[in-house]
Amino acid sequence: MNYTRDKRTLLAVYFLFYYGVFLFFYIDHRLLGQYQPIFFNYNRDLTELALIATGLPKWMIHHTWGFVAADMLALAAPLAVLGSYFRRGRFSLWGGVFFTVVFSGWLLLADIFWQVHLEPFILYFLLSLVFWTNSPERWYWLLRGCRYYFLYIFFSAAVWKLARGAVFAPFEMSRILLRQHADLLSGVCDGWQCRAIVDLIGHPGLSWSIYVLGVLVELAFAVGFFTRRWDRLLLGLAVLFVAADLVIMRIPYWTVLMGGVTLWPGRPRRLKSGIVVYETTHHENLPALLDLCEDSFDRVTVFLKPVSFSNLSGGESPGLRWPGVRFVVQDEGVSNREFIGRMFRLLRVERYTHLHLSTLDNNFLLLAVRLWLARGVHVSLTVHEVNEYFAYAFSSLRDWTESLAKVLLHRRIRHHTMFLPAMAGRFLERMPGAVAVFIPSRFYGTPAAPGIEGYPGAWGPGDGSPGHGDGPAAPGGGSPGHGAGFAAPGGGSPAVPRPFRVVVPGSVDANRRDYGEVLSFFEEWSSHSRPVELVILGNSDSEYGRALLGRLRRLESAGFRCFGYEGYIPEEEYERQIASADILWSPLRVNKKSSRNSPETYGQTTASGLTADLLLYHAPALTPIGFELPEAFRAAQLSYSSREELKIVFDRLVQDAGFAQGLQLRIHEAFCFFKKENFTGAFRSMTGLPPLPAASQEESQPG
Amino acid sequence: MKWLLIGFIIIQIGINLAHSVTVFPFVHYGMFSESFRQPDSLAVYQVTVNGKLLQARDFRVYRWDMIQSPLAASEAQEASRDFAFDRGKMGEGLQKIGLGGFFRTVEPQMRNDSADLAGFQTWYQRYLSGLLGYPVDSLRVEKVWYRWRAGQMQSCRTEIRINR
Repeated sequence: MNYTRDKRTLLAVYFLFYYGVFLFFYIDHRLLGQYQPIFFNYNRDLTELALIATGLPKWMIHHTWGFVAADMLALAAPLAVLGSYFRRGRFSLWGGVFFTVVFSGWLLLADIFWQVHLEPFILYFLLSLVFWTNSPERWYWLLRGCRYYFLYIFFSAAVWKLARGAVFAPFEMSRILLRQHADLLSGVCDGWQCRAIVDLIGHPGLSWSIYVLGVLVELAFAVGFFTRRWDRLLLGLAVLFVAADLVIMRIPYWTVLMGGVTLWPGRPRRLKSGIVVYETTHHENLPALLDLCEDSFDRVTVFLKPVSFSNLSGGESPGLRWPGVRFVVQDEGVSNREFIGRMFRLLRVERYTHLHLSTLDNNFLLLAVRLWLARGVHVSLTVHEVNEYFAYAFSSLRDWTESLAKVLLHRRIRHHTMFLPAMAGRFLERMPGAVAVFIPSRFYGTPAAPGIEGYPGAWGPGDGSPGHGDGPAAPGGGSPGHGAGFAAPGGGSPAVPRPFRVVVPGSVDANRRDYGEVLSFFEEWSSHSRPVELVILGNSDSEYGRALLGRLRRLESAGFRCFGYEGYIPEEEYERQIASADILWSPLRVNKKSSRNSPETYGQTTASGLTADLLLYHAPALTPIGFELPEAFRAAQLSYSSREELKIVFDRLVQDAGFAQGLQLRIHEAFCFFKKENFTGAFRSMTGLPPLPAASQEESQPG
Repeated sequence: MKWLLIGFIIIQIGINLAHSVTVFPFVHYGMFSESFRQPDSLAVYQVTVNGKLLQARDFRVYRWDMIQSPLAASEAQEASRDFAFDRGKMGEGLQKIGLGGFFRTVEPQMRNDSADLAGFQTWYQRYLSGLLGYPVDSLRVEKVWYRWRAGQMQSCRTEIRINR
């Protein structure tokens, strides 16, 4: 099932029929404003009698403009549903209630005044209830209920005929035809239809056979109560029945076919669900998404760049880690536009139901236009910078096109994910009514618990933990493991304490992080008990980066070593370094500029890659005060507001092994929250999939 | 939600058992299910506009329905003395559950005004003119009873309802 597509199908079918019905009312001179009656009827319907008792019908007879007003209301009422849906991507409860009340009121008045016969319109009333809810679960529940009602219409008609014995009276159909067509037969009977009716009346056996056949067709709908397998066939039977009703009985009962839409979502050969994920540069944010996609979709295809593909899952092949996922890698020489074009072709040709834009950083307008053309696809987006997504700029052609694209994207994409709950909150302030959920970039779960056997970060000199024996590449160095650490390779001597390793992850960018703070700290502070290794775990291949490393290297001594990287760091090496860290230091500038110069606040409107890094292991994270992490991350967060506080934290971590180990244990326990099951609900909400039954998911979103 | 469904089914079954009474949105689909005898005669309204007899075959089903049904409705209203039986039953029912006073309050709203009803022929002529799309200068409505004999309708009685 695809919630978005099913909703759109229902809306299209429902309101096409709705306005079709009113069009034919107009053609047949049946609108209340055209009829303008002078008396009302009793049809032995208690709801109608209650309406008559209110005095409204009588009042309308004496105020004929009321009839026109009723028509106008009935014609305009769908706007209360459609307006909200197309403006905000969701239904409005009051809009839905208003529509149901207006439509029902009009229908009852039409029956009171000119006896519209309510039976074929009951499903219009019942289906209008699905416009009251935005919960996929309730929506499908109501739709299923309406499907049963559609089946019931036919099945109960057969039961009535059986219960009242008409089907056992061989002359029944002949008499029915005579009564039904008395006015036609009393006139000139030279048409094929009239002659056929005369023949059927004259051959009671034949007409009775047709009656019995009709009852059997109606009875066949009972099968739908037990299985959805034959829904398509039942829809065909319904069409056949209505056509026969028109030809033989001259009853245009086509309006009831609107209910056939309820057989649609569960039709037996429905489309397999499929999602395409588009990612350019932030491959580190894909793992959780792919884990969730694999669970919820029949088909998953990821469009990504070669560098993202090769670094997606560390040392493991992405194909092995996600065997159900197809990876389409952007070949060298293929432009972004061409690549995007290929993606939309695949969406169309292979009829994928969902598209997730994991990173949106180029070709905004192209993507926006293509998304508008691919109307049937449910689109979702990972928002990396909230303010930037709502910022408009007009100083260059690119600014203009991106601003225009954003207007389109804001209307087209209503489902979003972010890496922090606070971001989702900020986002919803900017786009009320949209869906914004928190899904982490990856799930936690591989490292052994601290302090137990096999725990890579266990304390003790010469323990041979990852990255311990081998240091990272020295600045300017090529391959990983090139530089030498303090411990002897492959083990280390018990006499030499294990170095205290500080890892500063993330690209070396002065706009994002205050590396000056790191430099001046190590100028002032040194450890007497253990040597210290500082790893600048980001691409330093820039003037700023090289200068920084140069200055840090000048501080090197027997007790302090510094390592850095020039060029892209392979994910395997990156993860190895994170796993070897005693502490991750993220000297963030809490207020920074986005990629397009919009002001952003880390922890509020944008997320640092730190949250992704933290989940690789259970090392504590050192961050400046003012950077807020959600509750589940807080066990790992050590904040500082001054140089003195930094020194206290470092001294304690270096000297107090018990404190550090206890801290890691608490982090490990807290991070156990980041498991797939806890985010399935958010993912299904983002993708518009109906929620799983409560028993099969433990949904607990952190504040 | 489950109880809503169960409630709906229970009420629906109740309404089905009540046969002749419905409560929107609880209706039944028992049309053409009643076994009945061959009718002795069948009444048809013959409408002649500007001297020309209107024929069912010349109209879409529902347009024809809109020519015929006001005539039938008017006759039913007249024959039932403005649905006096139904109103009486309703009054009795409400009286039983202690709402007799309420019924007496709303009862005037439930009666058609005789002054309005008196204008039916004028109204029908005007409505017909709108439906047909041309002025109706003369109108004659006859109720004709037919018998089905030898594969065709034979008229046996005629009653003039409108002649203007």
